[in-house]
Amino acid sequence: MHTVSIAIRALTKSYGALTALDSFDLEVEQGTIFGLLGPNGAGKTTLIRILTTLMRQSSGDAFIEGLDIQRYGCEIRSMIGVVSQENSLDRYLTARENLELHARLHGMEKQLYKRRIDELLELMGLAGRQKDFPDTFSGGMQRRLVIARALVHQPRVLFLDEPTTGLDPQSRRAVWEYVRSLAGSMTIFLTTHYLEEAEQLCDRIAIMDHGRLIALGSIQELKDRLSGATVYEIEFTGQGAAHYAALLASMPCVLDVTQVGHKVTVTLECWECLSEIVTALNGAPVRRISLQERTLEDVFISLTGQKVRE
Amino acid sequence: MLRGAMAIWQRDMQVLRRSIISELVAVVAYPLTIYLAFGIGMQSYIGLVDGAPYALFIAPGLITMTAVSAAYNESVWSLWFHRRVQFTIESYRVTPVSVSEIVIAKIFTGFMHGLIKGCVVGMVIFAITPFRFPMEHLFQYLLFLIPGSALFSCAGIIGGTVMDKPETIGKVEAVLVMPLIFMSGLFFPLSSYPSSLLVWVRALPTTALFEGARRALVAGDLMPLPALQVVLSSVVAFAAAVFIFRYKMSE
Repeated sequence: MHTVSIAIRALTKSYGALTALDSFDLEVEQGTIFGLLGPNGAGKTTLIRILTTLMRQSSGDAFIEGLDIQRYGCEIRSMIGVVSQENSLDRYLTARENLELHARLHGMEKQLYKRRIDELLELMGLAGRQKDFPDTFSGGMQRRLVIARALVHQPRVLFLDEPTTGLDPQSRRAVWEYVRSLAGSMTIFLTTHYLEEAEQLCDRIAIMDHGRLIALGSIQELKDRLSGATVYEIEFTGQGAAHYAALLASMPCVLDVTQVGHKVTVTLECWECLSEIVTALNGAPVRRISLQERTLEDVFISLTGQKVRE
Repeated sequence: MLRGAMAIWQRDMQVLRRSIISELVAVVAYPLTIYLAFGIGMQSYIGLVDGAPYALFIAPGLITMTAVSAAYNESVWSLWFHRRVQFTIESYRVTPVSVSEIVIAKIFTGFMHGLIKGCVVGMVIFAITPFRFPMEHLFQYLLFLIPGSALFSCAGIIGGTVMDKPETIGKVEAVLVMPLIFMSGLFFPLSSYPSSLLVWVRALPTTALFEGARRALVAGDLMPLPALQVVLSSVVAFAAAVFIFRYKMSE
């Protein structure tokens, strides 16, 4: 039996006429890594700000570890760790002092937090720089310090709001490693723009848009949602790709055809239609027919559209 | 209950300790320049004011001005910086610390800045000028300076909470804070005002603060009404600062 760590019921947040969250429902199991995806302005940050008690909802309920966020804000804040989009490090305190301040804000005893901070600085590879100010750190090191700060008080739920935005690939992978190493010991709620990040880290994913939940499941489940339509790429040798593209487009089982140079991409109603395609292409100068694997990005784009959001 | 406020205040004092020398040099330079320019330079032209040499007349006001300006500046800039630039206020707000505790810590930090810097300027003026006051007057003076610094610290908190642009902070200081200080009889006796205007000037808490502080330090007078006016104003400003900060944070 799974225990629910985060429960959200009909959560709504309006700013005047704008509805940032619209009757949002969600459950996140304890000890899992949960990813929340959505285009800009989808309502991800609003949701995370409500869950971390930084903002009040207009209506609906949300519970963290069974506690109502409206009634038990202080208790909830003592059991969550938050890594916000901004680094929010105190540049006038050293790395160690940043962690010490956070521990004191959580009311930790000095003996306890001293040992814990030593462990975290070691884990994050920052022990040698603990007396330096964050301004002298690289972006990746600052991000690791922010994550260490969020872990000082050993939270039961960790919120990561776009934790690797702006980092180089090496630093991003280092952060992923740390996050993966935490899996199981706490619930991790992650928002990200990087679909690869979600694929690498998350057990389950939700996709939201216009304040509403539009898809929820494991990565494979979400990809399977698109499996009704199968995409093949057909590469022709020499000329004639345009002729065959037109021929394929006229077939009833073909949903979509695009042609770029010698390559034609066809979207079929189902994989069983492939035999009809092969028959139609009998004698055609085909060099290769390959199945296009669906990615999380395909799922994301198919659900949220291709239009760039302001 | 105030564990979080204490942690934030300790952080602020830790930062102040690191930069105390440069802070004090900057803080002492301004009132000292005014003292030398007006107190020494203009003294022979002005003569006695309210029975005291001009240099001695303006000295208590300069000490008070240093304290309250430091309290205001620390609060307004610190809150703005932590809220808009460094985002540390947000990092405090995701801990079990209440919004009221953050405000209390910041008000107390501003107040401490004011007190420390006011005392240092007082000592410098004491050391290099003939301005003297009986030490027993210090208690009466602090009865004005403490709530006065708290009042300006609260005003700074309100400013740092509602103003999002740094240039706005500078404008408000230029058109509101400094005129309030200068109109309070810092460089001239209140009797210089026309009687019709004097009623309004006396209604200002800054006038009660500067006038009461001067009389307390120089003559040892404890004027109960101005003292009460400053205390009440600081209580109202505190309530307003907490309310406005909470409101802004909930937006």
